[in-house]
Amino acid sequence: MICTEQLRVKFGSKTVLDGITLPPLQPGDCLGLLGCNGAGKSTLIQAMGGFQTYQGKVSVGSDDLKSLSTRDKQRRIGYMPQQIPQASSLLPHELLWSSVRALGFNWTNSELSYRIQHIIEALGLTEEAVTPMHALSGGKRQLVGLALVMIREPELLLLDEPTAALDLHWRIVVLELISKLLVQHQGVAVAAIHDLDLAARYCNKLALLHQGKLLAYGTVQEVLTESNLATAFAVEVEIINRGEDQIKIDIRGVTSPSHP
Amino acid sequence: MMPTARVSASVYTDTRYQKIWWHRFRLLTLLGLALVCSLLLDLTAGPADLSLGQIVKHLLGIEQLSPRLQLILFDVRLPDALMALLVGAALGLSGIETQTVLNNPMASPFTLGISSFAALGASIAIVFEVSLFGIPAQYSLPLFALCSALFCGGLIMLFSHVTSGSRESIILLGMALFFLGNSLMAGIQFVASAEAVQQIVFWTIGNLTKAGWPEVSLLALCLLIIFPISLRHVWVMTLLRSGEAQAKSLGLDLAKIRLAVVARVALLTAFAVCFVGAIGFVGLIGPHLARLLLGEDHRLLVPGAALCGALLLSLASWLSKSMIDGVVIPVGILTAVIGVPVFIVLVLSQQRRF
Repeated sequence: MICTEQLRVKFGSKTVLDGITLPPLQPGDCLGLLGCNGAGKSTLIQAMGGFQTYQGKVSVGSDDLKSLSTRDKQRRIGYMPQQIPQASSLLPHELLWSSVRALGFNWTNSELSYRIQHIIEALGLTEEAVTPMHALSGGKRQLVGLALVMIREPELLLLDEPTAALDLHWRIVVLELISKLLVQHQGVAVAAIHDLDLAARYCNKLALLHQGKLLAYGTVQEVLTESNLATAFAVEVEIINRGEDQIKIDIRGVTSPSHP
Repeated sequence: MMPTARVSASVYTDTRYQKIWWHRFRLLTLLGLALVCSLLLDLTAGPADLSLGQIVKHLLGIEQLSPRLQLILFDVRLPDALMALLVGAALGLSGIETQTVLNNPMASPFTLGISSFAALGASIAIVFEVSLFGIPAQYSLPLFALCSALFCGGLIMLFSHVTSGSRESIILLGMALFFLGNSLMAGIQFVASAEAVQQIVFWTIGNLTKAGWPEVSLLALCLLIIFPISLRHVWVMTLLRSGEAQAKSLGLDLAKIRLAVVARVALLTAFAVCFVGAIGFVGLIGPHLARLLLGEDHRLLVPGAALCGALLLSLASWLSKSMIDGVVIPVGILTAVIGVPVFIVLVLSQQRRF
C-alpha cells in the first residue's frame, strides 16, 4: 500500500534522508520507524505524507504520491505531527467537528456526530470532549491529536511519536487500538517510535534509521540485533529471544559518551 | 475505520456540546439585542431634545417628529450612530480574523500597521493639501488614508507571499510598518504648521461625527461583501485554534489562508479608519470579549466579534456625546480609556487560554 524508492531529502546542503527504499507494506501492516534523535524519522514520515519536498518516489497504493491531489491526500493519508494540539479554549469536540467540515467531507451532521462519539469513546476522551484544551493534560491533548487523524478513517496512518506524551497505560491502549483498527480495516500505519519494547510488541515490521540512511529493515528479530542497536544508539544491549517474534532487550549501558 | 453498528451511549458528547452551543447562541442573540439598545441610546445623545420614546414612536410610524427633529435624526445622528456600529463591526471582524490566522492574542488590524499608514496618508493630505484628479478636498483626506492603508496591506500581502505565510514574519513586518508609519507621520508633523498638526492630532484620535450617508453606505457595502466570505471560512478558522502544526498536518495551505485573511483585514480596516480616524482597541478587545462569551467555534465567534466591536464603539459613541453637556469627546479617547483596563483584566484572567 505504501513504499518508497530512493527517497532523498535535503535541507539546504545537508542531506537528511539519503536513498531510503522501503519495500511495499501490505494492508494491516504496522511499520515502526526507529532511530536516535536526528536520524530522519520525522522527515521520512513527512515525506511519505507529501508534507516535505523530496527526490525519489513514494507510492500510495498504485498511485505516485506526487500525482495525488490535495483532496485525495487529505482523504487517504492521516498524518499526526509530533506537536500536540495547542492549549487554547477550543473544545476537542469543536476541533474534530471543524476538521471534518474544513476538509469538505460530506457526512451528515448525525453521521459526523456518531463518528466523533465513537472515536472519543475509543480513546477514553468522553469526559474531556467538552473541556477546553488548555485544561487538558499533554497526554490527553495527544489523544485528541490522534482522534483528529483517526476520525477521517485514512487508509494510511503516518504517526510521528504518537505516544510520546502518554503514560504507560495510554501508550498500550493507543497502540492496541491502532493495531485493532489496522486489522479490522486493512489500513497501514507507519509510526516513529522511541520505545523499542513497544515497537517490538506492536509493529510487525521495523525500519532502523541511522544518519539519514536505512540501517536495517525487516521483522523485529531481523532489525533489533545487538550490532544494529550498538550502531544506531551507541548502547550495549543483550537481546533475549523469546520466540514467536517476541524478544527482550536487556540494556547494559552506552558504548560511547557521545551520541551516534 | 468505524464499525457500522450505532453505539448506544447514554450521555452523548453531542448532547453536552449542543447545550453549550445553544447557550452561546443565546448569548450571541443577547449581544445583538444589546446592540439595538445601544444604537437607540446613541440616537438620543446630543444637544437637541430628542427622547428615546419619540425616536421609537417615529420609527414605528406611531407619531411623526417635526421636520427639524427629523433632519437631526436622519442627517446627523443616524449616520453617526450607524458609523460607530459599522466601524466597530469592521474592526471586531478584522481583529478576530487577524488573531486567529496569526495565532496571536495581541494581533489586531493596528499591529499590522494598517491604521498607522492610514494616519500617515491622512497627514500627507492635511499638510500638503493635495487634491487628486479634481476630487473635492473633503474626500481627498479619506482617499489618501484609504490608499495609504491599502498600500500597507499590499506590502504585508506581498511579504506574506514571499515568506510562504510565516506568521512570525507577518507579525514582525506589521510591527515594523506600524513604527515606520508613526515615524514618517512624526516627520510630516515636524514640518507642518501648528494648525495642520492640530488637525492631524484630531484625526488620529478618532472621531465619528464627520461621517455622512455616503461614508456609511460605502463601509456597509464593504462589510456586506467581506462578512459572508469570512463566514465561509469559519471551519478552517476554528481548526486553526488547535495550532499551526495540526492545521498543516491536515493538508491546509496556511500561506494561502493567511494571504486571503490579510487581504480581507486590510480592506475592512482601511475603509473603517479612513473616514473616522485611528480608533484604537476595538479590534483588539472586541474579539477577546467575544471569545470569553462565545468560545472558539468561529460560527459564533466571527459574528460575535463583529457584534462586540460594534457594541463597544456604539456605547463609546453614546458616552462621548452624553458625558459632558454640549461637548462631544472624540470617541477614540473613550475607546482607549475604557479599552485598556478591560484589556488588562482580560489578559490577567485569561492567561491560560491564549
